[in-house]
Amino acid sequence: MSLNLEQALQTFIAEAYELLEEMETCLLQLENNPADLDAIGAIFRAAHTIKGSAGLFGLEPVVSFTHVVEDVLDRLRAGDIAISRTLIALLLECGDHIHYLVDVVAVRAQQPDAAATEREAGLRQRLQLYRQTSVSEAVSTTPGVSAVRQERGSSFDLWHISVRFGTEVLRNGMDPLAFLRYLNSIGQIVRITTLADSLPELSQMDAESCYLGFEIDYQSDASKAAIADAFEFVRDDCQLHILPPHSKTEHYIELIKNLPEQATLLGELLVASGALTLKELEDGLQQQVDAALKPATPLGEILIEQRFVEPELVQAALEKQNQIQEHKSKESRFVRVQADKLDELISLVGELVIAGAGANLLAKTSQDETLYEATSTVTALVEQIRDGALRLRMVPIGDTFNRFQRVVRDVSHELEKQIELQISGADTELDKTVVEKISDPLMHLLRNAMDHGIESPAARLAAGKSATGVLKLNAYHDSGSIVIEIADDGAGLNTERILQKARERGLVAATAQPSEQEIYNLIFEPGFSTASAITSLSGRGVGMDVVKRNITALRGTVDLSSAAGLGTKVRIRLPLTLAIIDGFLVGVGDASYVVPLDMVQECIELADDSKAAAEPRHYINLRGEVLPLVFLHQHFNTGGGQRRRQNVVVVKNADQKAGLVVDELQGEFQTVIKPLGKLFSNLRSISGSTILGNGKVALILDVPSLIQQLAQQQVQPRLALQTPALRN
Amino acid sequence: MATMMTTRQQALAPEDAQYLTFTLGGEMFAIGILHIKEILEYGHLTTVPMMPAFIRGVINLRGAVVPVVDLSARFGRPSSEVSRRSCIVIMEVEVDAGVQDVGLLVDAVSAVLEIPASEIEPAPSFGARIRADFISGMAKVNGKFVIVLNVNNVLSVDEMAQLAEAAQ
Repeated sequence: MSLNLEQALQTFIAEAYELLEEMETCLLQLENNPADLDAIGAIFRAAHTIKGSAGLFGLEPVVSFTHVVEDVLDRLRAGDIAISRTLIALLLECGDHIHYLVDVVAVRAQQPDAAATEREAGLRQRLQLYRQTSVSEAVSTTPGVSAVRQERGSSFDLWHISVRFGTEVLRNGMDPLAFLRYLNSIGQIVRITTLADSLPELSQMDAESCYLGFEIDYQSDASKAAIADAFEFVRDDCQLHILPPHSKTEHYIELIKNLPEQATLLGELLVASGALTLKELEDGLQQQVDAALKPATPLGEILIEQRFVEPELVQAALEKQNQIQEHKSKESRFVRVQADKLDELISLVGELVIAGAGANLLAKTSQDETLYEATSTVTALVEQIRDGALRLRMVPIGDTFNRFQRVVRDVSHELEKQIELQISGADTELDKTVVEKISDPLMHLLRNAMDHGIESPAARLAAGKSATGVLKLNAYHDSGSIVIEIADDGAGLNTERILQKARERGLVAATAQPSEQEIYNLIFEPGFSTASAITSLSGRGVGMDVVKRNITALRGTVDLSSAAGLGTKVRIRLPLTLAIIDGFLVGVGDASYVVPLDMVQECIELADDSKAAAEPRHYINLRGEVLPLVFLHQHFNTGGGQRRRQNVVVVKNADQKAGLVVDELQGEFQTVIKPLGKLFSNLRSISGSTILGNGKVALILDVPSLIQQLAQQQVQPRLALQTPALRN
Repeated sequence: MATMMTTRQQALAPEDAQYLTFTLGGEMFAIGILHIKEILEYGHLTTVPMMPAFIRGVINLRGAVVPVVDLSARFGRPSSEVSRRSCIVIMEVEVDAGVQDVGLLVDAVSAVLEIPASEIEPAPSFGARIRADFISGMAKVNGKFVIVLNVNNVLSVDEMAQLAEAAQ
């Protein structure tokens, strides 16, 4: 494992940000439910972990400030002080300040500027009110041997830590001493024995390798996990055994067995430290030997048989062990993987899908039954791998949503409005790249809703609504896309005012009478804002057009509905992933096109009679419904004669249906999306390309923009055509 | 005179001394080989609808989709007829964030020549029947002039994208 300091620091930064986010979420939870002890615990742990890790990297400003915060949190956890709104506000500010410190000290390797120092002094002063004393402030920052002065008679009530650092530790930029120093910051090292047994002859020694091990007797109130966390950064690189105070003899015996050094040596060591008596040691070792001869009797049972311990005690110990294991497995449920490694894997899977399709095609043409069967199996598996690989990138949108709690809280304070954010569908998953890019547009929309949508409490009461405005964030999956809704119960959009503004700015001709939907769409135009006063939040007219642009760039759409006095709802529709889609392959002339399968409703043959009828009108009767047709041949101007038999692929986007008239239906196809590049960036109705099994390139139809384009094109000619028709 | 020589040499980048020559509509052109990634035989090409004539289509280059520009059409002449000797020259073109591969459809490639900077004359302001900003110089090869193309202008992705939008 190649772990250098820079990488470890990056991990720390990422973790710190996550922890701060978690801290914030928990604080907001506390605000609603002050009795939530879990939340207090989580906040404390977050601060504690940040402090600890920052200490490892010597990020002094972070450590010293976080230490003060941690102190207060500790008192809060112990119930010495009560949670209050002011305390939560203070802690939120502290969280922001820690975030700033991490930003400055760890990311940019600078010192905090004067303004920050001043702010910190203010925060410290306010925190001081919640702290009992100020004397312990310097303790954590001056680790050293001086702490090891209280000699204990016996280490029976002490933790026992055995650690053997791997040879690579120093090369990976870790200093074993740093860990020991850190231990001193969360407890006290009472006795420490350095084991240099594995140190080779001087001539063979590599000065860059670490050969040392330590046996530590340690006094601390920290949990086992917290102590183990101290060794987080070398966990893969060292052998670590932690025995809690009052551990049973057999645990020590087991420890001795697990360690590479000679049993007697370690035994003596433990005896010397008073954890074991000589007799206990001998008995324990002897029993282990005996037990090894008998078929697998667990140590616990041996001891019960010999009435050394009560069965209940063993039971309790086992339970405890299970709990610790459970905790461990929870910890390891997440693996931090670099994003580019994942991208590489996904693009490789993409290649695999293409190659697999090629092999499948060959097998089909070879007419070898067994070969075809074999490739089909491979294809099915590849499909599963593709889905699995894509799922790796899927994350629930809830994290993004929860981040807005704070925004809503702060903004509503600033605007002196009462706003409650309700979140639903937080576990709806979508591609990580999409999540990252959707966060900013969502923020804009939320701010807009708070600033323009929701009225002041007085106005709300006057309108007969409750003083607290409700902002709803919802997400759900719908036919291959994710839909995100932002709804407020505010005043709704004032169509008159929008129209008036649009006319002032020349966006709409003075005589034109746009429909309601068209008026709503105006607010997505660049430079449009109806707010009479520009606030710090919104009203500058940047925002909505940026929102629309960002969403369009993600192949998504945004629409808006509103009811005067009842509120506004913005609906964003996004594709789930940007990498691979299920496609439906159709042939038009010599070329093949891919229609996203999620949008395909059905395929029907365009019979000759209905074709004759459809030709001049461009729509057919689909079971009583009017289905507008798109003749792709004509639309793309591909040339070449039309086939006699044509098919209609019925596609649906949002609530619009259309029929694509194509020559050939070629079936489903796993489509690895290849971007077409900048040259084609302005090309509407084609969203990308893909490579078919035979190596040819096929283009992917952008159904929504195709339909939109046709609708726009036809507005003008139809008006021109209808006038003479009316005359007839 | 001496200073003029050095400035011109710098402008033409002395390491760019090797050129690929090719024919297009019976005329010979040259491009610096540093821009060239590889030369392919003309193979299957997918037409992209609603694009101007000079964007011939896209090809599959070992898993990447690469646009192919019809050089003749780009010069405002009729589109190239595909023959047995037609080739696609894959070039690296600078775009705002890095480089992009673009294929160039030519009638036939001829040779890689070493042309010293002293043999390259500045472009005439008119008379070459192609846009002046497409020409980086006129090289003398065996007593005849060969037009050395300015690849970044000929294959300017920004400009071509704009033209493509206007064509829709």
